Amino acid sequence: MKKIAATLAALLVLGIGGAVAFVYSGVYNVAATEQHTALFFWLLDKTAARSIAVRADDITPPDLGDPALARRGLSLYQDHCLHCHGAPGVAPDRLAMGMTPVPPSLLSAAREWPARNVFWTIRHGIKMSGMPAWKFQLEDGDIWAVTAFVMSLPHLAPRTYEKMVAEVDRTPPTRATAPANGPPDRQRGKQALSQYGCTGCHQIAGIVGPDIRVGPPLRNVAAQKYIAGVLPNTRPNLIRWIQAPQQIAPLSAMPDMGVTPRDAADMAAYLTAPD
Amino acid sequence: MSLTRSLLAAALLLAGCDTHTPPPVPGGDAERGRLLVIGYGCGTCHRIPDIPGADARVGPPLGGFWRQAYIAGVLPNQPAELVRWLMDPPAVDPQTAMPDLGVPEGDARDMASFLYALHDEGQ
Repeated sequence: MKKIAATLAALLVLGIGGAVAFVYSGVYNVAATEQHTALFFWLLDKTAARSIAVRADDITPPDLGDPALARRGLSLYQDHCLHCHGAPGVAPDRLAMGMTPVPPSLLSAAREWPARNVFWTIRHGIKMSGMPAWKFQLEDGDIWAVTAFVMSLPHLAPRTYEKMVAEVDRTPPTRATAPANGPPDRQRGKQALSQYGCTGCHQIAGIVGPDIRVGPPLRNVAAQKYIAGVLPNTRPNLIRWIQAPQQIAPLSAMPDMGVTPRDAADMAAYLTAPD
Repeated sequence: MSLTRSLLAAALLLAGCDTHTPPPVPGGDAERGRLLVIGYGCGTCHRIPDIPGADARVGPPLGGFWRQAYIAGVLPNQPAELVRWLMDPPAVDPQTAMPDLGVPEGDARDMASFLYALHDEGQ
């Protein structure tokens, strides 16, 4: 018994030591020019596919057969998806070609995936793959429109696609401009703070993110007397600031991130009472 | 790189050897700056490590200040800019709540030196 315990302890120490050496030696090559091994690629791919299928299982799609919905989806696809995924007869932008994993063509996605999986993937994205979540950038109705278009791709010849593009009305995405009904949702606000890229500049209490100091750390916002040194720190002011910082302080380095009123209210609720 | 060298590098990193250092402020004296920060009463509005009683939240906390990309969210955080800011904040940003304390350039240099030396306390 003692021997087994000692061996296990030795293995544990060796394992932890190995992991530390792996991280700090810099031996792992993070270059996007180096593809994963076949086994690791399969593991990532399979894990993602299963994760999506399980989570999308209880989603019931609306009627996706309406050609108007697919046309709206095409318009949104042009602005938000084409750069990385390309389209029938159309290459993606250069920026997408150097990505690892490379963003797959979606021309055959509908052959392999049900619409609910496509919708879920667009809405939630896939961590560490380059696929962003559109949940806070597109309304669900618009995500269904893109889904309808993606589901129609296996039937689209390149010339048909070209014709559709020439005829389609390019319309911007729908953005909810109405303030939220009811009290703000702190947990939704927490997610929104990650999803609007806030953690790309700020360290935020209770949210894992890069160790960065472009904007000030947001760890004790409620105690702070001023917002950005210019605006008395009240809840309505914080909501206003999040939506239009440069309208309030024209010299501010903080950009307008296009936050909807509801999302700003939820973010403010989290920032003043973080986890 | 050999495994031994890699492991050695790992050990060195773990020992806390950090290559990032704050920029020097030409002509600045950090120790004199510390006394000036106390004298000008900066702690009345700011939380400042190493200054007794400086725990206010009117202005932002100043721990790890040199890592911050901007001064007051408007000026790139560089020594010359920080000196300019300390001398007369409203001249840089008329909207700022931070008052002009009439700091002469020499004092501003010393305070900038002190501020850049502040460690990050995680607030």
